[in-house]
This record gives sequence, structure tokens and C-alpha cells, in this order.
Amino acid sequence: MKIFKYTLLVAISALFVACAAPLDRSVVPMPAAAPTIQLGDYDTFTLDNGLKVIVVQNNKLPRVSYQLTVDRDPIFEGDKAGYVSMAGDLLKKGTTTKSKAEIDQAVDFIGADLSTYSSGAYGAALTKHTDALLALMSDIVLNPAFPQDELDKLKKQTISGLASETTDANSISGNISNAMCYGLDHPYGEPQTEKTTEAVTRDDLVTYYSTFFRPNISYLTIVGDITPEAAKAQAEKYFGAWEKAEVPSMSYEKPALPEGNKVCFAPLSGAVQSVIDVTFPVDLTPGEDDAIAASVMNSVLGGGVFGGRLMQNLREDKAFTYGARSSLSSDPVIGSFSAFASVRNEVTDSSIVEFLYEIDRLASEPIEDSTLQFIKNNMTGSFARSLESPQTIARFALNIERYGLPKDYYATYLSKLEAVSKEDVLRVARKFLRSENAYITVVGNKEEVAEKLERFSYDGKVKFLDIYGRDYVDLAPAPEGMTGKDVVLNYVEAIGGVDALAKVKSTSMSGEMDMGQVISLTQKTKDNSMLSMEMSMGGMVVMQQVFDGKAGMVAQMGQKVAMEEEELASMKKQADLLYEAKLDDYGTTAELKGIGSFDEKPAYVVEMTEKDGTVSTVYFSVENGLKVFETSTESTPQGDMVIATTYKEYMEVKGVKFPKVISQTVGPQSFVITYNEILVNPRLKNSDFSVN
Amino acid sequence: MEIIALPLNQKTEPFMEFFNTPQKDCLTFDPPKNETMKTRNLFVVLSMLLGSSAIAQLKTVEFEEYDLKNGLHVILHEDHSTPIVAVTVMYHVGSKNENPERTGMAHFFEHLLFEGSENIGRGEFSRYVENAGGVLNANTTNDRTFYYEVLPSNQLELGMWLESERMLHAKVENEGIETQREVVKEEKRQRMDNQPYGSLLSETMSRAYTEHPYQWPVIGSMDHLNAAEEADFIDFYKTFYVPNNAVLSIAGDIDIDETKKLIKKYFSAIPRGTQEIPRPDIIEPAKTAEVRDTILGKDQLPMIVQAYNIPAQGTEEYYAVDMLNQVLSGGESSRLNRAVVDEKELALFAGAFSFGLEDPGVTLAFSLANMGVAPEEVEAAMNAEVERLKNEPISDEELQKLKNQIENNFVSSNASMAGIAESLANYHMYFGDANLINTEINRYLAVTKEEIMDAAKKYYTENNRVVLYFMYDESLESSN
Repeated sequence: MKIFKYTLLVAISALFVACAAPLDRSVVPMPAAAPTIQLGDYDTFTLDNGLKVIVVQNNKLPRVSYQLTVDRDPIFEGDKAGYVSMAGDLLKKGTTTKSKAEIDQAVDFIGADLSTYSSGAYGAALTKHTDALLALMSDIVLNPAFPQDELDKLKKQTISGLASETTDANSISGNISNAMCYGLDHPYGEPQTEKTTEAVTRDDLVTYYSTFFRPNISYLTIVGDITPEAAKAQAEKYFGAWEKAEVPSMSYEKPALPEGNKVCFAPLSGAVQSVIDVTFPVDLTPGEDDAIAASVMNSVLGGGVFGGRLMQNLREDKAFTYGARSSLSSDPVIGSFSAFASVRNEVTDSSIVEFLYEIDRLASEPIEDSTLQFIKNNMTGSFARSLESPQTIARFALNIERYGLPKDYYATYLSKLEAVSKEDVLRVARKFLRSENAYITVVGNKEEVAEKLERFSYDGKVKFLDIYGRDYVDLAPAPEGMTGKDVVLNYVEAIGGVDALAKVKSTSMSGEMDMGQVISLTQKTKDNSMLSMEMSMGGMVVMQQVFDGKAGMVAQMGQKVAMEEEELASMKKQADLLYEAKLDDYGTTAELKGIGSFDEKPAYVVEMTEKDGTVSTVYFSVENGLKVFETSTESTPQGDMVIATTYKEYMEVKGVKFPKVISQTVGPQSFVITYNEILVNPRLKNSDFSVN
Repeated sequence: MEIIALPLNQKTEPFMEFFNTPQKDCLTFDPPKNETMKTRNLFVVLSMLLGSSAIAQLKTVEFEEYDLKNGLHVILHEDHSTPIVAVTVMYHVGSKNENPERTGMAHFFEHLLFEGSENIGRGEFSRYVENAGGVLNANTTNDRTFYYEVLPSNQLELGMWLESERMLHAKVENEGIETQREVVKEEKRQRMDNQPYGSLLSETMSRAYTEHPYQWPVIGSMDHLNAAEEADFIDFYKTFYVPNNAVLSIAGDIDIDETKKLIKKYFSAIPRGTQEIPRPDIIEPAKTAEVRDTILGKDQLPMIVQAYNIPAQGTEEYYAVDMLNQVLSGGESSRLNRAVVDEKELALFAGAFSFGLEDPGVTLAFSLANMGVAPEEVEAAMNAEVERLKNEPISDEELQKLKNQIENNFVSSNASMAGIAESLANYHMYFGDANLINTEINRYLAVTKEEIMDAAKKYYTENNRVVLYFMYDESLESSN
């Protein structure tokens, strides 16, 4: 019995033990011993032609990838912006022996990936197909043909793509932030437009390719199921014949910060959200001493964790947005900071307040120890997770080579991260963040949002931009019922009216322009049908134009050329003071686009289309009806050029007003003509207008 | 398996669109800056629509699976190559399970389930994971909701604790509901309203289905979300968030036995659900006439979309349709790309992919017209390619190309632990066979030329389709 009892007790106590440890769910599980994080190895070697090869062997999958990186400096493309990336696209659209269709078929047949871009190419395939892949890749890189028809096709697609971007808030945001941050005259800030795309020629691509696609500035990164020996043999075989050459290097001025915070706004019809970006250039190069501390600092703000301050503040606390983040990017030329979110229209201003608050807070007070630890933990984990992909080791190796980082930069990354203190974070926040010299770019609904943002600009004004980051011409609707012709006739009235103009039989105007040397200019008209113009320098006539009503000629440096039909038609209009009063007779139409502004004063914007299709946009002052500005595009041997003319200081002579000062810009040049004598009805003879 | 990943951004609605931002400290490699800046953004986005991915691999993925007494299905995959682990839970609930008066609940719930639990305070869920060096996220589709954490492998237990808390007694307070309501509205504005062609899928699905719940978008109706009350939330949680409606799938640097012990510790006491889980048995009636419409919006270029109703994923005919799409748009040499983009130069982009779903889904063919090209002209060129497939079989060489592409995709997929965990859960949940991760390729390779032709004839018909033109709304010119 005793025994029984004992057994029962044991049984009961065993039962008790079984349920004895009900899980205490309030206890957060402790981590097990930390696993070691091991960085895989890589091999490097250089071919005779200077091509540096990086090999990362990883046999997990029967697959190999090849990435070719041409490490050139950024290129400013100017009025042909886009040609560099088009050259990259076109690489795989035809070689000296294969058409695009043949290349596509060959790539797809082996189930491979193959893409090309302006600074290289990427290919990947199953191990058994790598020779077929490399034969194609080598042909594309060494023997591209840049077929004209493929370029034409690409241009068409590019222009369509650009058109579709005109209403894409995120694309526009990227454009205007780059334009502001780096400037329109910087390779990172210049826009590619329809016009710059049109201007690209095959020669541009060929020149780009032959100048920059050289092995001695390039890296070939091979990753996957391959031994270093086999990789070396492949590199030699497929890229050994690539010829090296001297490659030019380029450098650029560092973009300046704005004087104070400046709101830059690109209007987008019907937008339901504002895309906000607080951005400025940052002088941060890859791998520099402060790079890791800067990365910690950015993570605290919003660079990689949901627990970042921007996300917690703007999303989890205020529900302004689906996500708010920041990035701090290093770059050998110039880095940048960016803090961004898409927020609903009515909280756009409140969101900017929070962005600036968080940026400023990081640069004014040290972060908490727990925050620092949190970010370090997360970055350590992020580093470990990134190693899941064998491409990561390859990237590390490439960065070490490209940016001249110490060989152990990544091997010691975690200990460098661990060493970052909160003082470091504060120091780099002060060094890199600018809560008072930032561009605040916004793409959104102008009516609902823009005005409320004025207070964020240091000068109290919102700068309006077009979708490429250029100044935005903002048109208000014109009064109901008013037409373009009304505005033009109003101008005729403003300069004296038809009656006064009809009394003008001849004119003579003399003036000067200063182009380093003074150039004198005389211009005469007679009977509203004849015209002459003469330019002289130091008493020598350098250019002469004469039109007798029917024929015309241009004399330049002693050479006479007869005017052609197009020029004659233009002369005819210029000779006629009543041209604006007789638009119908000349077949010119005038369309009123709305009210814009010129020199911060309201002006009617009229688009005038001449019989031959020439279009010019003319601004007429709302206040006094006078013509103040005109812009048109003219074809020149250097390509299309925009001609912009400004009319100032109208003076009255015998009841008719003439602009005394005319300034004109043609492409990159500009000059100002100042008239010092304007005569109405001087005695002029028909022989003054003889073309012979 | 899908030949083509479900790509449109409305397919899933993640809790946060967040982890795409790389750390910019040399940990990532970016192409030179002026390159990315001049990328024609939309084109890239559209390329991603077709980004082929996700087939299984030839190398066998080993795994173990079993059920707990409460009905929770467990799948474990051990791989020590990187010291990380993916802890994932897939719930068999998506937008199709919703009450038609409460659309958007499944996705909204996904947001709410990051709010906390009896033992996890508001906002601490992500904090625990990130503090441990991990990432987390979730997404919702028409058919299921998926939660995951990827953690350093020594934090496996943390992942179990978090997911078991979520399953056992998630806690949602009013503050969280109100906040997430607004966040979801912003998500809708960002991902649909303010996104090029952001309404593409919702406009298509609302016409492709008249009866079946696939007709409403995953993100649902904002009015419905506003109307939802506490009782709705409790009911939804008790019905769907139960172990017998879930798959716990774990992949990575784990010890199987240890992991099983932890699973028992954290999940075995969670009670089985008591309510019946509603599964819609609505059969979408066959279309009898083409549905055709024009949608006006702010996007500049005409987008032409054709949606054909197709059988459910996993059926033999589904694989044939998927192969057909591969013929049409797998790679630059594919037929749509060659004809519509390269030769006739009618479109910037042309593609086709199947929107494979648990119930009969749709397959989409679409083109983004070049500037100045009439949509009718593009559509005619697309139709010509489909007609060709009905009338003549593809060549032997083309079939071989498809097979090579499929093999390549299989090998390349399942490269990450999170991906393997998700695929295993998917295959179990939809087909009751997690081993399809290894074998589904055979179903593709078994498709014959004749079956591809038959699929074209049977499903790519005029009466079985919705045709939409997304056109620029000229009236927008005058405003703003």
C-alpha cells in the first residue's frame, strides 16, 4: 500500500511537472549564442589589357553571372542629354555580325539574362550555357554596330516614355530634386527631354563607346558555380582581345547649397497626394572615415528600419503617409541627402514641419543609448542577411577595388560599426545635415497645396518648376471671351493705333550693341515694304541686309548672298509696321494661352503661328498692352536654338512707340541693342534699298 | 508555381513598402548615378511587370512537415549556408473571403496585426524584430495573407514568440485602428491613385468578374473600412486567425529537433478555431459577350489591356495558358515583343501574364502604346499574334526555348530562405502538396504544342474577354 501511495505521489508530481511550466508569455525569449558571420572569399586578377576580374565561387546553384562595369566619370551631356544611356541600350541591339532579332533569339534560347547599360553589361545563365552566353556578351561589348534603325526606334520609345512621365509624380519628383540638388548644368541634374533625345545621333553613340568602353577602366565580376581557374580562362578567351586605350577623366564643381530653405514646386493636375523630398547635396565619398557613422545617423532618421524616426512620426503617430524615409548616399563626385514621403494634400505643410523637426533634432541633441544600440543591432543583422546572396561578396570586392577601400573594409565592418558612439552620430549629423539650407521639393496639386508652403522658403516665395526642374511658366486663365487677336490689336493700339502707324512712311533707327567691341547698327524701313539693316564695327561694315519689297540680299564680309523664300517672307513682315494689324492678310493666327508673368508683371501669352508653321510665343503686358517678350525656336547649323527677345523702354516718336532697348539671347549667346536715335519719316530714297 | 510572378503592385498590399531603400554605405552596389537618373522610370516599372521569376529549382529542396493537434500545419527546411532564419505564417484568408459589405478587411487586418498583443505593446512588434537585426513584413492577396520575419538564426525563438502572440491573442486598440485606417488610405492613394495606371488591375477585375469576390480590389473600399466596427474585427480574427487555418513555415539555419520543441512550446496551446471558415463557392458564370470600355485618367500614353478568364491555378489547362503567355512575352524574342514593339513599333512595351488564383483567375495581355499610336491599331496587332497561335503550332525550336527558359527560372528561384518558406507554404495551402516546390516544373515541361494551341482556341476568345483602353483625359488640361 505504501508503495502504491508513493507511486501515486510520483505520478501526481510527474503530472504536475508536465503542466508545471505553463509558458509565461510575457517573457521575451532571449537569443541563443550569436552565430559567426563569415565573409566568403574572392579572387582577383588582371588581364594584359587591364581588365580587372573578380571571381566569387559559390556552387549552391548551377548558375554563373557576369557583370561588366566600366568605371568612368559621370558625363555632362548638355543638349544631347540621353545619348550616354542610349548608347548603353543600343549595345545589345546589333553587332557587326548579328541583328537584334538574332541576339534576342540566342539569349532566350538558352534561357539566359543579358542586359546592357551605359557603363557595362550583365549576363547570367545556367553553368552549361555559359560559353554560349559569353560568346554573345563578348560580341556585344567588343563589336557593337549601333544600327541607325534601332537608334530611331529607341528614340521613339524614349520619347513615348518621357511623355508618360509627364504625369508621374514620382518621376517628376526625381527630376526636380536632381535639378535643384545638383543644378541643371551638372551630370546628375541635367534633364533628358524630348528635344535632347531628338538631337542624339549615331555618331554620338559611337564616339561615346569608342572613348569609354575600354578594358583598362573596367571590372568583370564573375559569381557562381565556377572555379577561379575556369573563370580566368573564360575572361581571357572572351575579353582578352578587347583593346585598351587612354580614357579621359572629367571633374565637376561641387554644387552649392541654397541660401536658406527653398520650396520648389512642380504642379501636377488632379494630384491627390504631394510627393515631398527634402534634399541637398552632401560631400560624402564611399568608404570615407565618417561613412559608417553617417549611415547609423541616417538609419536613426529613416534609412532602413521601420523604427526610424520619420516613419514613427509621420506614419505611426500622425498617419500622414504610408511611408516616410530618408537616404544619405555617398558618391565619388557628390553625394546627397534626401528625406521623402507621399502625403495627402491637406497635410503637406504639416509633414514638412515634421521632416524639418526630425532633421534638426538629430543635429541638435544626442540620440539615446537604446536607440544607438537598436540601430547597431539592426545594421549588424542587415549585414548578415545581405550575405545570403553571393552577389554581396562580389559587390564588396568591387567597391574595395573601385573606391580604393582598405582590403579589410568589409571584414572589419561590424567592429567599426560597434565602435560608433552617440557623440559620433551627433557630430556627423551636424556635419552632413542641413535643416536650414535644404531644397524642399514638392510635386502636387497647386491649388490645394502650394500657397501654404510659402512660409518654409527663406524668401517667403515658392519657386515653381516644370517637370524637368526648369522655371515653370504659370498661366492664369485669360478673361472670358478675349482672343489672341484682341491682344495683338490692343498692342497695335498701345503703340499708337492704326491711324498713327499709317502716317509713318519711313523710319530710321540707329543704335549700338556691346559685344566686347562696340557694334553700331542702323535699321531703316520705307513704305511698309522696304527694309535695310547695317552693322559696322570700327567704321567697317561687317554685315548688311537689304530688302526692296521683292528681292533681298545679305552681305557679310564682302560676300553677297541672295535671300531665299523663307527669309523674304520674314523680311516682308519686318518691313511692315502694320503687320500686327493685318495678321489675317499674312495668314498668321494668334492663340491666347492665358496670363503669365514676365519680369514679375502679368502678361498675356499669345502663341503666334505663321503661314509657314513658324511658331513664336509673345508676351504682351496686361498693364499697357505693349509687347515685352518673345520667344521662338530657329533651326541653325548647330541644331535648334531658342531665340528669346526682350523689349524695353518704349519711347514715342510722332505718336508711335518704339522699344529703345532690345535684348536677345540666341542659344548660349546674348546681346543688348540700345537705340540712341529713332526717326520717323526721314527722307529716304528707294535707292537706299537697292539689292544690287 | 507561376512562370511569371504576379507582378502588378496591387497584387499584394504589404504592411509597409519600406525595405527597398538600401543602406547607402557601400553595403550595396548602385550603378553610376547618372545612369539611374536617366532611366525612363515607367519603362523600368513596366519591365518589372513582366519580370519572370518564381519557378522551382532542379536541386531538391528537402523539408519536413507535420500537423499540431490544433490543426496548425508546420513545414521546416534546414539550410546552414547563412546564419539566418525565416519564420513565416500564412493564413488562408484573402479578399475573396470578405463580406461584400466589408471589402478591404483582410488587408486592413494585416496592418492591424502589427499593432501588438496581450504581451506586446503598441508599436513594439517591429521594434523587437528590428532590434534583433531582423526584418519583417506581410502582404495580402485575393487568397491568402502572409507574415514573415527574417532573423539572425540565434533569434529563432523570438520569431516564434511573436508569431504565436499574433495567432493567440492579438490586441487591437482604437488608436491603432484609427491610425491604420488613415495609413491604408494613404497606401491606396500612393499605390493606386497617384501611380501610373494604378487602377489597371481594379478596373480589369471589376469587369472580369460579375459574381465572384475577385471583382473587388484587395485594398477594398474606404467606405467599408470606415464603417467597420469592433465586432467586425473580433469576428474576423476569431474566424480566420486560427491555427487550423494557418501554415507555419520556417526555413534557414535551424536544428529541426530544437525547432520542433520550440514550436510545441509556443504554438501547441493555441486553441483550434471553433467557427466555420467561410470559403466562397461562387462560380463565376462563363462570359457570353466581350466587355469593352475606355477609362480616362491622367496617364499620357494609351494602355491596352485584354483580360481572358482562365481556369484555376494548378489545373492542366492553367499550365498550358501559362506556357502560352511565355510564348507571347517571355523575353525579347517573344512574339508580342517582336511583333508589336520591335517590328511594327506600335508600343513601348507589350506583355502577357497569368493572374493565377485559387479559384479561376484571369490572364492579361497588355501593351503601352507609343506616342501618337491609336489603341485600335495596337490591339489589332496583339490579336494577330493570338490568332497565329490558334492556327499554327509553335515550332520545335520555340518549344525548346520555352523549356530552357523554364529550367533557368527554376534554378534561379528559391535562392532566399524567405522565398523558400513562402513557396512551401503556398504549395501546401493551395495544392496540399509542398513537394511541388521540387516537382511542379514537370507539369510545365509536360505541356505539348497541341495543348498550347488548344488553350489559345479555348480561352483567348472574343466572348471570353474584357478589353480596356486607358486613355488620357483631355479635360485635365484646363485644370491646375
